Amino acid sequence: MHIPDGFLSNKMWLALDALSGASILYAARRLRLEASARIVPLMGVLSAFVFAAQLLNFPVLGGTSGHLVGGALLAILLGPLAGFLTMATVLIAQALFLQDGGLAALGANIFNIGAVTSFSGYGLFRLLAGSPPRERRLAWAGFVSGWASLVLSAVCCALELGLSRAIPLEVGLPAMAGYHAIIGFAEGGLTAGVLVFLVRVRPDLIKGTSDLRMGLADWAVALGFVALPVLVLILAGSSALPDPLERLLSSAGAMTEPRNDAGDLLSPDRYPEYLRAAAILVVGTALVYLVARLVQGRSRKS
Amino acid sequence: MRHNFLDRYAGLDSPLHALEARTKLVGFLALILGVLWIPAGSNLIFFAYFLLTAVLMGISQIPLGYIVGRTLAILPFVVLAGLAAPWGDHFEGVRLVAIVLRSILSLLFLILLTSTTAFAELLRGLRKLGCPKILVLNLGFLYRYLFVLTEEVLRMRQARDCRRVGRAPALAEFKLLGAMLGTLLVRSFERAERMYQAMLSRGYDGDLRILAPRKFTWLDLGFLAGVTLFIVGVRP
Amino acid sequence: MPSSSSKSDRYAVRLTRLSYTYPDGTRALEGIDLDVGEGERVALVGPSGAGKSTLLLHLNGVLTGTGGVRVMGQLLEGADLREIRRHVGLVFQDPDDQLFCPTVLEDVAFGPLNMGFPAQEISSRVERVLADVGLNQSFRNRSSHHLSHGERKRVALASVLVMEPKILALDEPTSNLDPRNRRHLIDLVAALPITLLLATHDLEMVLALCPRTVVMDGGKIWAEGETGPILSDSALMEEHGLEVPLSLRRP
Repeated sequence: MHIPDGFLSNKMWLALDALSGASILYAARRLRLEASARIVPLMGVLSAFVFAAQLLNFPVLGGTSGHLVGGALLAILLGPLAGFLTMATVLIAQALFLQDGGLAALGANIFNIGAVTSFSGYGLFRLLAGSPPRERRLAWAGFVSGWASLVLSAVCCALELGLSRAIPLEVGLPAMAGYHAIIGFAEGGLTAGVLVFLVRVRPDLIKGTSDLRMGLADWAVALGFVALPVLVLILAGSSALPDPLERLLSSAGAMTEPRNDAGDLLSPDRYPEYLRAAAILVVGTALVYLVARLVQGRSRKS
Repeated sequence: MRHNFLDRYAGLDSPLHALEARTKLVGFLALILGVLWIPAGSNLIFFAYFLLTAVLMGISQIPLGYIVGRTLAILPFVVLAGLAAPWGDHFEGVRLVAIVLRSILSLLFLILLTSTTAFAELLRGLRKLGCPKILVLNLGFLYRYLFVLTEEVLRMRQARDCRRVGRAPALAEFKLLGAMLGTLLVRSFERAERMYQAMLSRGYDGDLRILAPRKFTWLDLGFLAGVTLFIVGVRP
Repeated sequence: MPSSSSKSDRYAVRLTRLSYTYPDGTRALEGIDLDVGEGERVALVGPSGAGKSTLLLHLNGVLTGTGGVRVMGQLLEGADLREIRRHVGLVFQDPDDQLFCPTVLEDVAFGPLNMGFPAQEISSRVERVLADVGLNQSFRNRSSHHLSHGERKRVALASVLVMEPKILALDEPTSNLDPRNRRHLIDLVAALPITLLLATHDLEMVLALCPRTVVMDGGKIWAEGETGPILSDSALMEEHGLEVPLSLRRP
């Protein structure tokens, strides 16, 4: 889920931009110094692969459709740092080409969909499949990595939106986590499926390309990278934290309040308010359009 | 997906098109930041920003239908997500409106940035601003091979549809999708290998090099100055 | 480059018992001996899978086999490959593999950039070489995925010629080209004053461009000599998956 601009609190997206920016610089530097030269064209083509593969939709839960995210898969094939950079490339391109996700929120999206999926997917895979990966365990290690990467990513997204007071945690967390827990089956299944396909057709790809491993020190740094800003955010936005958490804990109380508001929203005495808002929207849009047309016409003549 | 949808209007002739990529990157990002700092309820400030986008859209000579189209495509999600906001302790209509307006404004500035700048030029600007070379190159490769791979995907999808009668059971669909992705992936690896050989043949030695962008002119300075004045001036 | 007057210096390319086995075990080249003189034009013909492309990839050190590869008198093993790659221009069969930059300008400038030329030099070289291959300067800012196959082949050629190589190796240059583009390419290559190695199925082009032909099959060289007699030998041609070109057949 790509977060557009305007949803996250300023502290939140600033912190995440800094975090993602630093992570990209770190990954780029490590790859430049340690990875083989052939990783560059490989990451390039695989960026295009992920972008294109996300066009292959499959139906989910009647109506909506999902697609492969690919963070875990890439990290398993390229190693976590190269996988992360590849995903970051895709996310930047999606923001610039398709306006999928905002510009200021890019850091958050890169963190959620790039970093969290890559590192968690890689870590889980290495843990479950062993190193070097054993064929029998390849499929279900891939499945768990794919599934978990998606759920963790969704949880982070919900946390960010909740702490920014954009979408309250008691709505966002179960919704995002629940939805992605189901979609995660597809991600896990496809990740496993592709890995199994590869091991039959090109087994050298699974072993050969992840030449940049994460050592213990790297994991410590990565964890520190994540823990520190999260700590800072929690301390800074601590006023936001207790309320939603509290309400989440006292679940019975949380259920009745929104229902009252829902009734309120649709009551007839709100209609003039809505009408006024709609009128402003229409007039405002027309005004903007007219001004733009005017300027366009005049500048064309000059 | 048409081949030229990315740089469709990047070749037009307007003051915005003439600006250097760095200028636009910095300028529009600053404007987006300005938008994100508009407090909820400051209708006049929102109005001022909308006026600015109108003027910029006009100057850019980009067909308005295109801009509106792109905005509308993203809008449903924004509004939907924004509607979840009021389900809090009480209906915060003002905040909902602010969220939606900020999203739209940021989107408009983003569209203005990308539609007036050729992608290759944008990449050079990014590099000059300090973006790691490997990331810039990656974006370049993505741009270059996106259509090659998209066409392969579409062809595979067509082939799949040709051989399908009705809807197969979910599991079979999945297996097919997995095989398609796997094939696409193997082809990608093979292409990357040939690309690597081609790069080596032209002197690639692991060190990455990128061309320089356009020159910085008075127009660029003027734009940046104007943006700064606007952001600083239009505040509560 | 060594300036001694030893025999090997007269050759642009000298392959001595060159053999190559792919990582998966396929034997691609077996004991290839080949000498190409400076300024010579040699064609490599043979069925698909004969090893023609693999051989070309050894000329600039992209692939390293066993045996000796000498380019302009210098042994490739242990040499500065960047210098070699500047002097040996290799044009691949599929331009999509060779054109990987966002715009034509960057693709053509890729080689010179790697060579470390200053911006001004790069700019003028690009301008010159685009004109040489018959492309308008407006192509610089276009992206190769917008170009036709023929135009892409020209850009690929330009991206190699821009480095002013002394040896040009072309892999199936006329494949998938329409007659007009094919004619243009043949004329273009004919006018270049360099050593040429041409791997191709287009035997008419071989007749037009190369006085000398080498027949390859299964990683080995089976025949070598003057183009006319070799291509007229119907038994030889058929034995190695080829045909006598139409223009040589007696009516």
